[in-house]
Amino acid sequence: MRSIRLENVTKSYDGDIVIENLSLTIPSGKFFALLGPSGSGKTSLLRLIAGFETADSGSIFLGNEEITHMPIHKRNINTVFQNYALFPHMDVFDNVAYGLTIRRIPKDIVEQKVVKILKAVDLEKQIYKSIHQLSGGQQQRVALARAIITEPDVLLLDEPLAALDLKLREKMLIELIELQDTLKTTFVYVTHDQFEALTVADYMAIMNHDGVIEQIGTPKEIYEFPTSSFVAQFVGTTNLFSGAIKDGAFEVQDLGLLQAVIPDKGWAIEGAQALMSVRPEKIEISKSKLEGFTNEFQGKVEAIVYHGRSTQYNVRLANGMLLQVFEQNEEHFPHEVIDYDDMVYLYWQKENVVMLER
Amino acid sequence: MKQWQAQNLLSQARSFFWAIPAVVWQILLLYIPLVFVLLHSFVDTESQFTLAHYAALFDATHFIILARSLALAATTAIICLIVAYPVAYFLSFYVSRLKNVLLFFLIIPFWTSLLVQLYAWFTILDKHGFLNIILQKLGILGEPYHLLNTPFAVYLVSIYCYIPFMIMPIYSILEKLDIRLREASLDLGATRWETFMRVTVPLSMPGIKTGFFLVFIPAFGEFVIPVLLGGGKQLYVGSLITHYFLVSRSSGLGAAFTWLSSMILIISTVVMQWLFVRVIMPRKTKRVGYEITK
Repeated sequence: MRSIRLENVTKSYDGDIVIENLSLTIPSGKFFALLGPSGSGKTSLLRLIAGFETADSGSIFLGNEEITHMPIHKRNINTVFQNYALFPHMDVFDNVAYGLTIRRIPKDIVEQKVVKILKAVDLEKQIYKSIHQLSGGQQQRVALARAIITEPDVLLLDEPLAALDLKLREKMLIELIELQDTLKTTFVYVTHDQFEALTVADYMAIMNHDGVIEQIGTPKEIYEFPTSSFVAQFVGTTNLFSGAIKDGAFEVQDLGLLQAVIPDKGWAIEGAQALMSVRPEKIEISKSKLEGFTNEFQGKVEAIVYHGRSTQYNVRLANGMLLQVFEQNEEHFPHEVIDYDDMVYLYWQKENVVMLER
Repeated sequence: MKQWQAQNLLSQARSFFWAIPAVVWQILLLYIPLVFVLLHSFVDTESQFTLAHYAALFDATHFIILARSLALAATTAIICLIVAYPVAYFLSFYVSRLKNVLLFFLIIPFWTSLLVQLYAWFTILDKHGFLNIILQKLGILGEPYHLLNTPFAVYLVSIYCYIPFMIMPIYSILEKLDIRLREASLDLGATRWETFMRVTVPLSMPGIKTGFFLVFIPAFGEFVIPVLLGGGKQLYVGSLITHYFLVSRSSGLGAAFTWLSSMILIISTVVMQWLFVRVIMPRKTKRVGYEITK
């Protein structure tokens, strides 16, 4: 259990800069998720930490030890690969035992450890099976067991659940959280799936298309208080209003003044261009007039998408903007049925929206 | 018969149809002649049944020649493997842009007549040839050395001729090898050498095996190279069979010897196959014996 620290790391492939001057601290013993769109360089970052690639400049530390140029096999960091990379010529036992066999651990101890870890991942009956006989979920667990049996300081997971179906993925996510709780190993989980990242992470970092980390924080901080429009849009769904700060409120063209909490930041001065992010579930939708909200708008329902647990309404505002609204389906028979082309009121509290620099 | 069974049979018959030319070819040009050779080995000059040819096989010379050919085939295959593996490894993992060019150079000898290749070796190995001149200029050799018409020349040129047959199958396997498997091995603490021995080599075993047999089997029956570069001084299986059939006209004995050497080739192939599967391939760690609880 050690932390990872990257200082001013730059990496390019054939002149293409993937990661530029990146600094990041991954706290020790935590479940850390690295979330970013495809091609954002998050896998490159993982490969730098694992040692498959060497940084062009900058340094990487494991705890207090510099590992920038340490060979892969000397780093006490293991990886769970996206396609699992299980050795096809070995059975489950030898795959899991590989790291111990390499370290010349006595055979009886190897066997004890393999059996113990296979019991933990519920694979003891598959111990002598060949890799081809296993299902995707079982292969995933073998890869996990193989990576944790040597008790690494850090476990890197590169989109480990991408190949599994939704149900199995949700189950594995819970198992991963429990596993990290027991082992207290530093987990670094790379994914482009915000749902996975929000589910597993103690802390998460959001990387943009240019390989720059835009925000680091707990899942709740990231979701509720994004600090950039990229984060607000990439994690979850949001409605972005663009306008200007005026008299302690937010002026949007053709909509008038919107009540807002103006943050105490340098850019948030009178007259500054800004964005306002309103999450769809923070908006109340109703056909009748309600009291007690700081913001109120009228619009026309253009589309209704039923999601099961919630319903999504797309509402056209007076300024032509299309707003997304989520409403929980709390009742079998709602007291008020909203239909296409209905004129509705939309409400939200100014405390529930986030002002962003533009 | 149900409809799907009929369809199954039909599709099987169809796929067999496309195999007919190859099967006919094999039967006409391989199996039937082999049966003739077998029959011939039991018949004497008066067309009477005899075991005399087989009795005549029990002669030290025959066994020395068989051993010589086995040694040539095994040595050629092993040295080809040692030389070809690094080449195939280099080609598949370290070359990207020049790959096709290098493969092209490997294939060029295939387009050249074997005789032309062998005569080229004459000019290299001759007493006043290329190799002797270089060795003398370098001061390694004082007097020019007789390299032609020696077992050394036979071995050297056999290895040269058969090396592409070893490189190609190994290369085609390594080329497809998932690089992440080697990364996973390094990641789990193995050095580059351990990764090579425990992951790369075992996974390329099918290519090694194919290459080994592609070299071993024809090298065992090789007769052109011993005749031309060995000066025919030492007889090998191939040259002895040619001798019996074409020179001494004792085709009965030749037929018997053909069958004996074929048997020895088959047996040694089976033994090597067994070695590959049982001794070289399995990399299972010894287990104390954990019983799966049902």
